[in-house]
Amino acid sequence: MAAGQAARAGSPRGQNPLAPRKPHFQPRVKRVLWLFMHGGPSHVDLFDPKPELRRLAGKPLPASLGEVMTRRDVAKNPLLGPVKPFRRHGQSGLEISDFFPHLSRYADDLCVIRSMHGDSVNHPQSVYQMNTGSILMGRPSVGSWVAYGLGSENQNMPAFVVLPEPGGGIKGGPPAWGSGFLPATFQGTPIRSGPAPILHLRPAPQIDLPQQRRALSLINDLNRYHRLQRRGDDELDARIMAYELAFRMQSAAPELVDLSRETRETKQLYGMDDRGCQEFGTRCLLARRMLESGVRFVQLYSGDTGGWDAHNGVLKNHTTYCRRTDKPIAGLLCDLKRRGMLEDTLVIWGGEFGRMPMSEKGTGRDHNPWGYSVWLAGGGVNGGMAYGATDAVGLRAAEHKVHVRNLHATILYLLGVDHQELSFFHNGLDERLTGPTDVGIVREILA
Amino acid sequence: MHRCVTTICLASICLAAIYCGLPGSLRGEQPDDGQRIEETAITKSDRDHWSFRPLVRPDVPAVKSLAGARSPIDCFITARLEDQELAFMPEADRRTLLRRVAFDITGLPPLAAEVKAFVADDAPDAFERMVDRMLASPAYGERWSQHWLDLARFAETDGFEHDELRPQAWRYRDWVVRALNADLPYDQFVRQQLAGDELLPGDPDARQATAFCLSGPDMPDINSQEERRSDLLNEITGTVGAVFLGLQIGCARCHDHMYDPISQADFYRLRAVFEPSVQVQRGKSVDVLLGARVPADPSYLLVRGDWRRRGPQVQPAYPRIANRDGERVAVAKPDVKAGRRRASLATWITRPGNPLTARVIVNRVWQYHFGQGLSRTPSDLGTMGNEPSHPKLLDWLAAELIEQKWSLKSLHRLILTSATYRRASGRSPGESSPSSAADMLAKNREFDPKNRLLGRMNRQRLEGEAIRDSMLAVSGLLYRQMGGESVRPPLPPEVVSTLLRPNHWQVSPKPSDQFRRSVYVFVRRNLHFPMFATFDRPDGNASCPQRGRSTTATQSLVLLNSPLTLLAARHLSGRTLVAAEKTFEGRLTLLFQNALGRAPLPDELQRCRQFHHKHVAAIREKGRSPKSLALPIPLPDSTTPEEAAAWTDFALAVLNLSEFIYID
Repeated sequence: MAAGQAARAGSPRGQNPLAPRKPHFQPRVKRVLWLFMHGGPSHVDLFDPKPELRRLAGKPLPASLGEVMTRRDVAKNPLLGPVKPFRRHGQSGLEISDFFPHLSRYADDLCVIRSMHGDSVNHPQSVYQMNTGSILMGRPSVGSWVAYGLGSENQNMPAFVVLPEPGGGIKGGPPAWGSGFLPATFQGTPIRSGPAPILHLRPAPQIDLPQQRRALSLINDLNRYHRLQRRGDDELDARIMAYELAFRMQSAAPELVDLSRETRETKQLYGMDDRGCQEFGTRCLLARRMLESGVRFVQLYSGDTGGWDAHNGVLKNHTTYCRRTDKPIAGLLCDLKRRGMLEDTLVIWGGEFGRMPMSEKGTGRDHNPWGYSVWLAGGGVNGGMAYGATDAVGLRAAEHKVHVRNLHATILYLLGVDHQELSFFHNGLDERLTGPTDVGIVREILA
Repeated sequence: MHRCVTTICLASICLAAIYCGLPGSLRGEQPDDGQRIEETAITKSDRDHWSFRPLVRPDVPAVKSLAGARSPIDCFITARLEDQELAFMPEADRRTLLRRVAFDITGLPPLAAEVKAFVADDAPDAFERMVDRMLASPAYGERWSQHWLDLARFAETDGFEHDELRPQAWRYRDWVVRALNADLPYDQFVRQQLAGDELLPGDPDARQATAFCLSGPDMPDINSQEERRSDLLNEITGTVGAVFLGLQIGCARCHDHMYDPISQADFYRLRAVFEPSVQVQRGKSVDVLLGARVPADPSYLLVRGDWRRRGPQVQPAYPRIANRDGERVAVAKPDVKAGRRRASLATWITRPGNPLTARVIVNRVWQYHFGQGLSRTPSDLGTMGNEPSHPKLLDWLAAELIEQKWSLKSLHRLILTSATYRRASGRSPGESSPSSAADMLAKNREFDPKNRLLGRMNRQRLEGEAIRDSMLAVSGLLYRQMGGESVRPPLPPEVVSTLLRPNHWQVSPKPSDQFRRSVYVFVRRNLHFPMFATFDRPDGNASCPQRGRSTTATQSLVLLNSPLTLLAARHLSGRTLVAAEKTFEGRLTLLFQNALGRAPLPDELQRCRQFHHKHVAAIREKGRSPKSLALPIPLPDSTTPEEAAAWTDFALAVLNLSEFIYID
């Protein structure tokens, strides 16, 4: 049975909602890792070379580009040239700026979409749109849709896992990984490193584990008596199973986040010996372990409340954030490749939007949802490719435009899911991630 | 003025139809820049849909056997069961009934003493008196306000990036609690939330009620304030349509509704009712609606719902499909000071002739009592909505509600005192389990697995709020103060760290405030309160007519390991151990009675005794210092620390039982 239909029909109470489901068609990838650069990285300084912007630096936006809505009224500000040089890399000659010396070694694996666009100049709206398809609050996130449609290969862990920045909240908060109107089972579960990676995983310090195991066995026995007196109630069975899963999670989750058995070489690969990128590197390695164990969808955030939001001094901000993430992401790609996992994993890199070609406060840049870059790597996508283009200065997507909706439809397609079939009946409507209208898949980037 | 426009429906599945406007209701809709409104006319077959038909009180059906019937409700239910040759379950036992009504009406477990008294009460009207007692309890308003707050997508912050405080939002919550406790007639309840300021000028409470309209998410610092205002208006319009009329009017924001006879123009006409009352100011949260200003700016249809693309002008009007009589919105004349568009709307919605309003609310109330509505899509009674299982019962209840002057308490009483509500959900402990009942249940389950015919009661799971309240109640921690500003119980640091700023969750300094009922816990849009969120509490960003009911391992983890459960377990065991009972069996019985309202069964007693022996010995073997154990509060002198710690674990286990959170 196809995922959408199975999902539409709704799983009867008691049936495990996270059991793996068959996709609609042959998938290219089995799992997704989304590297979310919160705050909005600057495409014109990272992945979208604009010689014209360099040439016009200091001058106003050419009149031919017309009026543009900006968050901080920067439309009339002088243009700011790219703050780092771009170079060609790999066999493909894909251009990447000097901000990413490590990642650029994997240029031939990256498929950069340079013509992304969305609908809001505001952070939270764009965070919601990138995660849920809508600029409004409260709809299910991509990870929830995927978990709902495909279930999980790992029954000891949630299907959708989020590794938030320990530094603090993103703009828009946990609704970014919420399940909206989908059942709560499918919401993103935040996971942290350390002995208690999942909230309330461990008993309070006064109760030791053997003590809790005995209590759990009592609970299970009493719940079975209760169930025996109430024949035919699957939900009560499901509840007994949930306690058994909780029990397994108590050992599975700490094992998953226990990096002690990873080799020194692997840790170095992720930059864990380097104070400048140790924290993000650790989370990248955690992410790989989650994927390896069968977790369906992992989302990893870079950037605290401010994050990549370079209103003042894009050079300084991006130097910090690229330093934190460059080596770990390169290490992650390398590790996925050598384990043969990149073939059936989709890696997504991007923020909620890009940044303006105009300057803000001299050396910063304002938000730009009208044109920006996102890259994909892994199964099913062409590596060493730049797809689409912004205009001469990187203000708007201009050629082969890819809306956030198209990106979502393409992600689902790579997972073998038809975005029109994956729906959930809610308040009289068949709700979809990609909305009511038909949305094109970006076929040109498919391998 | 009559206009005739040939249209092509956007869905391109409808045939072109001739539109001959309702007499006058669309007066003044001038083509703007040559644009005209194109919409499909309402047809006779549209009006024939069950929920759009005029409400007529049906006759109570005749049934073959009146045995066990207590109210006309039972006749409607029995008639359909007889059709299908299905029987119904016998009445549930006394203890089960008391727990059912207590949780249903007050959201709190009955005290052990109440159970004892009710089980022993042989008077023929014992049940009815108990129902009246429950309905008179102020806990009723606290419980049922949460159902309404789900519909009102209530929260006390704006959401989006800054998630700023709405410092007065709790006043609306208190208004709902008070209105329900006072049994404010439902028609007035609706009117005040839509237009309390216009209808009862000078009454600050009525004005506060309009916060319903603006309780949704909002982004005060958005770039375009015009976009912000447009989003707010869309959200209000969609919510009002869904909550009061049971119509997904919001679907018609961008294009005509795909299935229901609701045009895009219908959406913008309804929206126009609210336009003069919603004004925004950059950076400032909204709270209550503004009094109407005169003259109001003209309203427009927005092409594809885009706030930048004005289409033809529209005049405020009610959705045509629900407005058979062509009632008109009172639009202010230039020389009249205040427009009363919302007052008109509120009056129109609550006219007894409105076919939807009473049907929608009785279906909701039924759903909260039985776990499922007579129609299972409570906010969509349109053509895509679920056909009611008992359409005549639904209409009879709706007519009865109006006849009872829209008294919700009368409606509750009517439903609760029916035999249908009192049926067993299955075998319950202590019942003598006649084999005929077991056979009946088996047949019922086989032929009516979803229990649409209500031959038995649905077993229901408590919501996260009710689970927390129950834990606090059985452990004696619950602090029953009502109303006022919301409270913030402590939360784990990993939850608080997902907030934009750590000061977004400042724990209430007064310890007793941490043990107030869940309805008083501060609702922050950008915070998932774990105990509530894992048990499917909606996130407050859209109106929620029916909560999900998932069963997950994270629920088990919260119940097993949250500091609240441990604290409740320590108090619950403390209460048990300080009582006069000193034998194991006596203590266990007391613990079960406090938490579950019953004594343990022999099997349970035996299993618990076995656990107790092993557990105490194992704790003792570890040789842990008493300080490192989770000891009961208060700790009785006569009990060893190991023994006492084992009782905490007992209490914790009881709080984790299915029976603690499932109501038969």
